Amino acid sequence: MSASTAGPAAIDLVCAFAVTRTPPDPAGLAAARGHEEGGPLRVLRAGGLCLIVQDVPAALFDESALAERLNRPADLERCARAHHRGVEAAAGRGPVVPLPMATLYRGDLTAARAVTARQPVLNTLLDRLRDRTEWAVKVHAAEAAPEASGDRGTGAATGSGSGSGSGSGSGGRVYLSRVSARRREQRGAHGKALAEAEAVDAALRRHAVAATRHRPQSERLTGRRAPQLLNAAYLVADARRAEFTAALARFTAGGAYPAVRVDASGPWIPYSFARWDEDPRADPDQEVPS
Amino acid sequence: MTDLDHRYPGPEAEPYGPPSGSLADLLERVLDKGIVIAGDIKIDLLDIELLTIRLRLFIASVDTAKKAGIDWWETDPALSSRAARDALAEENARLRERLDALEGAADQTAGAVR
Repeated sequence: MSASTAGPAAIDLVCAFAVTRTPPDPAGLAAARGHEEGGPLRVLRAGGLCLIVQDVPAALFDESALAERLNRPADLERCARAHHRGVEAAAGRGPVVPLPMATLYRGDLTAARAVTARQPVLNTLLDRLRDRTEWAVKVHAAEAAPEASGDRGTGAATGSGSGSGSGSGSGGRVYLSRVSARRREQRGAHGKALAEAEAVDAALRRHAVAATRHRPQSERLTGRRAPQLLNAAYLVADARRAEFTAALARFTAGGAYPAVRVDASGPWIPYSFARWDEDPRADPDQEVPS
Repeated sequence: MTDLDHRYPGPEAEPYGPPSGSLADLLERVLDKGIVIAGDIKIDLLDIELLTIRLRLFIASVDTAKKAGIDWWETDPALSSRAARDALAEENARLRERLDALEGAADQTAGAVR
């Protein structure tokens, strides 16, 4: 199973997890496990930087094998969790630039060369991510009361109270005006929720170094009935973490913005702010003006 | 299942707890826009969201199925490309059988007419 014992016929690829300046604690690295199918985690020196890597069998990690495996849910999850373990093992002693999952090289030489070639970008990222963590924040519209949700008009009183008139006119017209009133109400509620989501974002940005947004997740994915309005990530300095989480706690507790529900997770290794193929200096939108 | 975790530790808590098992959050971060930037190679994946939804379905189903002692997901074409090939092979075999049967019947009918 282990690539190192697989015999001379097995060809290995090098799987890279993260870049650091100082090598991680050897004991921690030895205790950590990357991909189950690969060898032990090790440190590869590249220029002045360290790349945390693992040898993995090409039969499972080459282009076609990986494409097939990663499109299988169970394998995708195993692979994602293994990658996260490898990145965590690299963290702990100074800043870390996590690499995207399954960053693979044909050998130590090409892996080291890739790092050396991007050294300026990596150094900028390492400076930027030092003593900072990422926080994930999701804002959903508050779930509507059952009778107000959905658009199936049954002619029964909706209890929404507005615009339904006295009901003395023709049934059809009353029904239509009720439906359009409900639509207006929903649009109004949605606009209000959006505005509140933006307000939450603006408030959190004040305590963050940078912010970025992921695509909002669909209701099918979240399993909620209310749409996700904001799927944001914030880069927060350790020195300001307490004030950030205090602000966050006010929102997650509810009350401050009644039209939305705010959920958070963190601290994360700052994956969302560590795209080494993009020059972080070339993305001024991301940076929160201080 | 619907309840991704949303609790977060206080400032003094352990750093980098994989904020408990929220797979969608993790995938969003470790996958680079649905593509695996693979150093020397680059692989296009299905849409992250699609994968995540399938993943959630898969996990939910495996849990339910395991309790019931069922292992259908291993042969569900939606969940496994290998199973998709199996399904095609199976269908192929079924069609061949039917074809054989029909041809046999046609031969018999032709024989009877003659």
